[in-house]
Amino acid sequence: MSGGWSLRDQYAISGVGATDFSRDSGRTPLTLACEASLAAIADAGLAVEDIDGVVRADYDSVQPGDLAHGLGLPNLRYWGTSGIGGAAPCGMVGQAVAAVAAGLATNIVVFRALNGRSGLRLGRGSAVQRAASRPVGGNGGYEEFFLPYGLIAPGQMFALLARRHMAEFGTAAEDLRAIALVARRRANANPAAQMCARPLTEADYEGARMISEPLRLFDFCLETDGACAVVVTSTERALDGPNPPALVRAVAQGSGPRPQAGTFLTALMRDELLTQPSAAVAELLYQRGGLGPADIDVAQLYDCFTITVLLQLEDYGFCAKGEGGPFASSGALDLDGSLPFNTAGGNLSEGYLHGMSHVLEGVRQIRGTSTSQVTGARTCLVTSGIPAATSALLLRAA
Amino acid sequence: MTAHPDAPVPVTTDLDTGGFWQAAAHNRLALRACLDCGTVLHLPKVMCHRCRSTRSGWREIEPVGTLASWTVVRAALHPAFPPPYTIVLVELDAAPGARLIGYLDGAPDLAMGQPMRATFQQVRDQVTLVQWSPLPAVISGPSPDSLVPDLS
Repeated sequence: MSGGWSLRDQYAISGVGATDFSRDSGRTPLTLACEASLAAIADAGLAVEDIDGVVRADYDSVQPGDLAHGLGLPNLRYWGTSGIGGAAPCGMVGQAVAAVAAGLATNIVVFRALNGRSGLRLGRGSAVQRAASRPVGGNGGYEEFFLPYGLIAPGQMFALLARRHMAEFGTAAEDLRAIALVARRRANANPAAQMCARPLTEADYEGARMISEPLRLFDFCLETDGACAVVVTSTERALDGPNPPALVRAVAQGSGPRPQAGTFLTALMRDELLTQPSAAVAELLYQRGGLGPADIDVAQLYDCFTITVLLQLEDYGFCAKGEGGPFASSGALDLDGSLPFNTAGGNLSEGYLHGMSHVLEGVRQIRGTSTSQVTGARTCLVTSGIPAATSALLLRAA
Repeated sequence: MTAHPDAPVPVTTDLDTGGFWQAAAHNRLALRACLDCGTVLHLPKVMCHRCRSTRSGWREIEPVGTLASWTVVRAALHPAFPPPYTIVLVELDAAPGARLIGYLDGAPDLAMGQPMRATFQQVRDQVTLVQWSPLPAVISGPSPDSLVPDLS
């Protein structure tokens, strides 16, 4: 009935916090993590002493103990890590929910901090940067089947999927363009978005340089310095806070029926190229939440690339497999469409916080405080990254 | 294409994957397969995910495939790979579902489903990459079935 999930709406996000998003923060990831966490704790109406748990992302340089040391947490009694990479954020929230439900902690800070532009740029291929001159691969990572051939970056992998989608289903560059343009319009209304003051036209998109065909510059997200954090606690406690909580209706993680090792390139070796782990996660999430795609008022979809959004539109059931292109071009994703998406601008135009900013914007929609508020939004889908595995949340108003 | 001095080269001694590279050094294409149930284990690993046997070995595979996707890279990311160059994703005819990557200079004309044939590019002493070249038309001659061991 509910997939074994019995915690529907009983746990919540009670606070959200973020730093500024920039190309060069001038601070360490630890400082960024502390700033975002403090903001989230204050937003939840709590003090540092109230925080007894920390959940981080596997790609984060900040360890739980680092954050505890940085903030001076005197009562840390639970910590955990989730991943992989951009797949982490919704699963991190789920891990915090489980820990609070089990009585292991009371108020948990969940964070992601990175100097993703001025430091290690994931978009340029982190494995090849780490490898330097030594041989690549081994130990179950399988980089040896990809990096020696010049396949080193996530954008190249998603370009291969985009080309395949175009060939199989007739998806057009204009469909990807529609996704980029909607995300940019939402960023133009969001003062915190890096692209707030930068409108994007169809001509700008078409005229931008090709990076990895068929993907152009504006099909790629904005590598970013910054941090985001949320506080997870029981709904009962969250309702005592100064701001409306976002209830966790359901959360799900999954790697799909044919798991792959490695990080992202290995997804090219799965039986099915164009169905992502999102399809399995969607089924579980909807089952746990007792809801379906028609119940979603607004969606925050992980968007490292435009094609990433298009694949999820299909996997989360907003349209049939192969129909993602026409759906994206139909206007459905715009603020007055049937599925307003990435209302803060997303990875594409707000900033690439590796999926964590999507959780924050989901909370703002539930609170009614988004800079592109969807009128009467009560249910928000939030998704985290693909392709290796993924996670997702259904957030609900109390 | 000659190997750039800064090009990433594969580890060839990994216990799961090393056999692929050892075969490539002899200009042969080999995939790991379960000795008990025959399942092709690609990407290579000792344990069979179907029957959980740890008895696996290397089977030579006819070095032909079809083009499952490609991308022309126009942005420079690494000194060993000056753009433009093309990354190909090739599905092996004799092991459906098993795919390999290849590198092509420039931006050659390609078509989805195009037949591809493996070539062997020695990049270091004892290190050879399996590369893929487009074939102009469907291959004539013996069918792959008659050349390849049964992998069921």
